[in-house]
Amino acid sequence: MSALFKAEGIVKRFGERVLFDAASLELETGNGYVLTGPNGSGKTTLLRVLAGLDFAQEGKLAYRARETAAAGPYPEPWRREIVYVHQQPYLFRTSLADNVEYGLARRGMARERRAALAGEALAWAGLTARHGVPPHRLSGGEKHRAALARAKVLNPVLLLLDEPTANLDGEARAQVLELVRALITESHTVLIATHDPEIIRLAILTRLRVSAQRIEVAE
Amino acid sequence: MIKRIVFTLLTLLCAATAQAQTVRMATTTSTANTGLLDYLLPKFRSRTGITVQYVAVGTGAALKIGEQGDADVVLVHDRESEDQFVAAGFGVKRHDVMYNDFVIVGAPADPAQIRGLKDAAAALKRIRAAGSAFVSRGDRSGTHLRELQLWRAAGVEPKWDGYYLSIGQGMGTALIMAYEKRGYTLTDRGTYLAYLKKTDLQIMVEGDSRLNNPYSVIAVNPSRHPRINHAGATRFIDWLTSDEGQRAIADYKVGGAQLFFPSAK
Amino acid sequence: MDLLEPTRQAFALLFSGDRELWGIIWLSLWVSVAALALLAPLCVPLGFVVARIHFPGRRALVVAMQGFLSFPTVVVGLVLYLVLSRRGPLGAFELLFTPAAILIGYMVIALPILMVFTVAAVQGADSRIYETARCLGARPLRAMATTLWEVRFAVTAGFVNAFGRVVSEVGCALLVGGNIAGLTRNIPTAIALETSKGEFAYGIALGFVLMVIAVGVNVALAWLQGEGGLE
Repeated sequence: MSALFKAEGIVKRFGERVLFDAASLELETGNGYVLTGPNGSGKTTLLRVLAGLDFAQEGKLAYRARETAAAGPYPEPWRREIVYVHQQPYLFRTSLADNVEYGLARRGMARERRAALAGEALAWAGLTARHGVPPHRLSGGEKHRAALARAKVLNPVLLLLDEPTANLDGEARAQVLELVRALITESHTVLIATHDPEIIRLAILTRLRVSAQRIEVAE
Repeated sequence: MIKRIVFTLLTLLCAATAQAQTVRMATTTSTANTGLLDYLLPKFRSRTGITVQYVAVGTGAALKIGEQGDADVVLVHDRESEDQFVAAGFGVKRHDVMYNDFVIVGAPADPAQIRGLKDAAAALKRIRAAGSAFVSRGDRSGTHLRELQLWRAAGVEPKWDGYYLSIGQGMGTALIMAYEKRGYTLTDRGTYLAYLKKTDLQIMVEGDSRLNNPYSVIAVNPSRHPRINHAGATRFIDWLTSDEGQRAIADYKVGGAQLFFPSAK
Repeated sequence: MDLLEPTRQAFALLFSGDRELWGIIWLSLWVSVAALALLAPLCVPLGFVVARIHFPGRRALVVAMQGFLSFPTVVVGLVLYLVLSRRGPLGAFELLFTPAAILIGYMVIALPILMVFTVAAVQGADSRIYETARCLGARPLRAMATTLWEVRFAVTAGFVNAFGRVVSEVGCALLVGGNIAGLTRNIPTAIALETSKGEFAYGIALGFVLMVIAVGVNVALAWLQGEGGLE
């Protein structure tokens, strides 16, 4: 199997501080990965570089047949297939349906089809009952699930999730975990940055660890 | 304690004397814009020690101010309104002071072709027919009232439809606007001469007897309002109509030309 | 001085549909709205760019805009007058003493207000908004529009503020408009004129309308914000 996504020789500095020093990783199609490491080790930053939200000073990114410099502009077509979800997802102040349909609308999908797909995604996330609620009124767990639905409905090739269970516990956390598990088994390629032990323990995930400014495959 | 009483009394005395030393006048923009007042009033002060403070608005507004008792004396130029003012008891007596004349001025290109006409009303009729811009004071001033009389004489209704600009402001402003809009306006000769350097307007029509512009001075009736300085107003009127005042009026020149002509009897 | 009678007359005037009176009100409204409508497509995207992109001289620009926020409108009128008069560089266009001159003046006055409010709104925007939009596949222009929509209340506040400022200013409008009846006489210039003529009923009527407009627009904004604005 050829690699879907490769990052090679990533160097990321914040002023004097070096976050990554020639770090590399490879993601294979259809696999799930979990990125672990202590707080402040740069998991979020790495994900953002892979998602094109931050630049690295040196290094290369390769997706499918194409290569680009990690320091340079992120190819627009990649944004159609690689979706990043924030640690604290932001929901637009419109409606829940509008949020989920946002990406579909950007891809030029017709209104009815958008609405249908969005309805399905909300059902998948267990949010159908919250349909008319203004997004800012949703609970923390519901916001996470809505963000996942918003990403999933786009059928992304590569999904980058940053701490999907951050600040959640109990029922909310369990619900989000369910969705994360579903995402992984539905054969999207997924990279999850987290220190949630339940996610880390999932057998189907390959573990990547940030260590000494490099990324290594754990055990 | 004594010091305080003395100080207070002195202040009151000064205030009282200051009152007697000040006369409030409501007059028109044409006497102010031409610089006549700034020339005359210091002479009056050095003769009598009285300071005249004036506000320059249109004849209609000036008479209104007098009616309200916010002025001690008015100096205006519209006979009809002046007679009404005195008849209604707002003013004591009307005195002739001086006269000048109105002229119709316009852009040198003279689009309505009125240059040299002797009939002011006919000139206005032509302006209307040509659709040229005409600036009106629109403020019930002496000039405005005269302008309205001329329109009546011409049998033309001045309506705003792109050409008739009613501004509600003073003569100087009207001249500048006529210049900017390349149009015409009715003005007193004095203000026109004073503004010679600011516009390129030229005299188109003059000499029509309907363009004569006499000024009157009237003391505001003190029995109607509590704080009228009637003594000061009377001294001002006396001076204006005296040989000295009349000579001063005749001596006032702008650019070598005499603007106002003494007419006190 | 009895003010009851003029006040009664004022309302009679308003409700009688006096053409001159309502013509004055209409002029005030359409010139103010037009000025803002013309500025919007320029200022809003520009404000976004200034807020987010670091270019040489950016800080100087932001400081300058803040400085011009309270620029005396009468000085705007003075400069515009000199520029538009026949002796001035743009004299050939014969714009002085026309509604267009007032419109230009209003645009100059409103520009820094719209810029400052938009920049503040975008700078205050959650950085995740733009990123989320991009991550979901929006192009930069679209992501900008999405961001602006998310901070629409703060941006609208700028428009309301600018509207209030221009609709009630008198210095510039008087100078470059000339207060010509039926042409360039708007609410503030008419109030100044009629009051000085002692026509208190007119002044009161117009003053009342201006108050209703100025206060009403702010109230409308606050009401629209409703719960959306307050967290």
